[in-house]
Amino acid sequence: MNALILSAVLGVIMMYCGFMFKAKSAVRGVAIAGLVLLLVVNVMESYGTVFFHIDTHGMMRFDRFALLFNSIMFFSVFVYFLLSAKDMEKIGVNYGEYFALIYFVLCGIVLASSFRSLLILFLGIEIISIPLYILTGSDKKNLKSNEASLKYFLMGSFSTGLMLMGIALIYGASGTFNVENMHLAQIRPAYLPVTGMLLLLFSMSFKVSAAPFHFWTPDVYDGAPTVFTSFMATIVKAAVFIAFIRLFDETFTGLSGQWKLWISVITAATLFIGNITAVFQQSVKRMLAYSSIAQAGFMLMAIYSMNSDAKEGILLYTAAYSLATIGIFAVLNKMGDYTFDGFNGLARQQPFIAVVIAIFLFSLAGIPLTAGFVAKFYMLKAVLATGTGLWLVIFSVLMAAVSVYYYFRVIQAMYFREGQANIEASTSFKLTLGAVAALVILLGLFPGLLIYFYYF
Amino acid sequence: MIHLLQVNPSTSDASSYLPVAIQVIFAVGLVVVLMVLTHLLGPRRKTTDKLQTFASGIENHGDARQPIAIKYFLTAILFVLFDVEVIFFYPYAVNFKELGWSGFWAVLLFVAFFLCGFIYIIKKGALKWED
Repeated sequence: MNALILSAVLGVIMMYCGFMFKAKSAVRGVAIAGLVLLLVVNVMESYGTVFFHIDTHGMMRFDRFALLFNSIMFFSVFVYFLLSAKDMEKIGVNYGEYFALIYFVLCGIVLASSFRSLLILFLGIEIISIPLYILTGSDKKNLKSNEASLKYFLMGSFSTGLMLMGIALIYGASGTFNVENMHLAQIRPAYLPVTGMLLLLFSMSFKVSAAPFHFWTPDVYDGAPTVFTSFMATIVKAAVFIAFIRLFDETFTGLSGQWKLWISVITAATLFIGNITAVFQQSVKRMLAYSSIAQAGFMLMAIYSMNSDAKEGILLYTAAYSLATIGIFAVLNKMGDYTFDGFNGLARQQPFIAVVIAIFLFSLAGIPLTAGFVAKFYMLKAVLATGTGLWLVIFSVLMAAVSVYYYFRVIQAMYFREGQANIEASTSFKLTLGAVAALVILLGLFPGLLIYFYYF
Repeated sequence: MIHLLQVNPSTSDASSYLPVAIQVIFAVGLVVVLMVLTHLLGPRRKTTDKLQTFASGIENHGDARQPIAIKYFLTAILFVLFDVEVIFFYPYAVNFKELGWSGFWAVLLFVAFFLCGFIYIIKKGALKWED
């Protein structure tokens, strides 16, 4: 509750900062300070200090899982602001509004992670989506950005329509929006709740860009300004995943016989299409878009397995994936050329940044001693613990091996190709990037550091 | 006929959807019958004037698809926004006494948020008509 109200208020404050402060550094300072405050307030709520006592009539519940997830998200946004907030200046004149929109997205994330009523789920997903349509099209003079925004808007509203249809059918079958007393498994005839559940499955798959509902993703991620692609591909995607998991593991548990096969097919298709298509990309930005589809495939395994390993795993996975991807995008922002050749010879000009990018790519590919490896390990362990889905584990390991190819192409370009790639990076930028890389390795060595907070 | 409308809502088998089916058949049937009847019964006198776009009796000229200044859209959208705000007052006005002070504070908060938005659009110059 703390974070929910504070993030909305901070959004309004950022709106006003846009015209109150002439200096862009002042706006940025307020945004970063606000985020630290948000993180602190959220951690305080995790340990029992609640500032606002509002009766939600059982429509929301702030449990440890939701609060820890929110903390991870706020920390990722904090890192994102430190690394990329300066690059937002290049997009347009409405500097304060970009931060305001991001804060409103965070407000939606809090709603989506702690919903107990399908209405709040809908509200959360919409509050996440609508600012993103604007952020995608924020580069107003760029035709690709406009196209991406329109595509995202049309596809997003279409899938929201599916979601509302599903919620309506479930309400019709059970007579309640509250996920705790639905008892969907006992409803006869079962076609109403099952149809509703499938519609929700499709619309959530749209939102997390799981195949075969991924077609909007490459165009939108490629067209949007790179700073906002970074935000969409990491924080937003992870947030929708938490809503997805809560919905299916907690609400639709009784119907799991109906959707387990669907989820496993969607997972396999997402892994296959994401990884295979990423191999053929020439632009690193587009490759990262496909890579985000492929990583969504791994996160979907948490929904398939529905156990405590999966819940720990998804927390680790979102942290590992978000940190690494934000880091790579922060460097990509500063590159003039987004193709693989644009990275040629970066190791000679900027040895430190090259090492850090290599660590992030190792983490994304799942090489041991990085957070990405542990996260993938938890996911596979969770699926194996269910006793079914061995084929899914084998298939996903094969696909992870494919992903090594396109991630390592960047490393190959940086270290083994001749070229003049260079970026302008301040010392503070390098220090932050180094700290994030250290965190990625630390989480890879001691994943318990994060999991600890889930229980204590 | 009337017993069809009094189906017990707790029995959710296929027959409880019969009223819905009847309504769908009626809705589709009405449209089809009216369309067919007007074609069969109505007189037909086609002239070129009738096939033109109706523009209040004035002869039409030019293309409607030309760029229009963004300020028209801005004003229209902002009008809709604040119009909707006023619509929310109607249910509050009806339940004014029952909701008491807590309802008053809730509405005040709602208006305060809108006021924030209003100050914002004025400061941003969204309502400035002359460039």
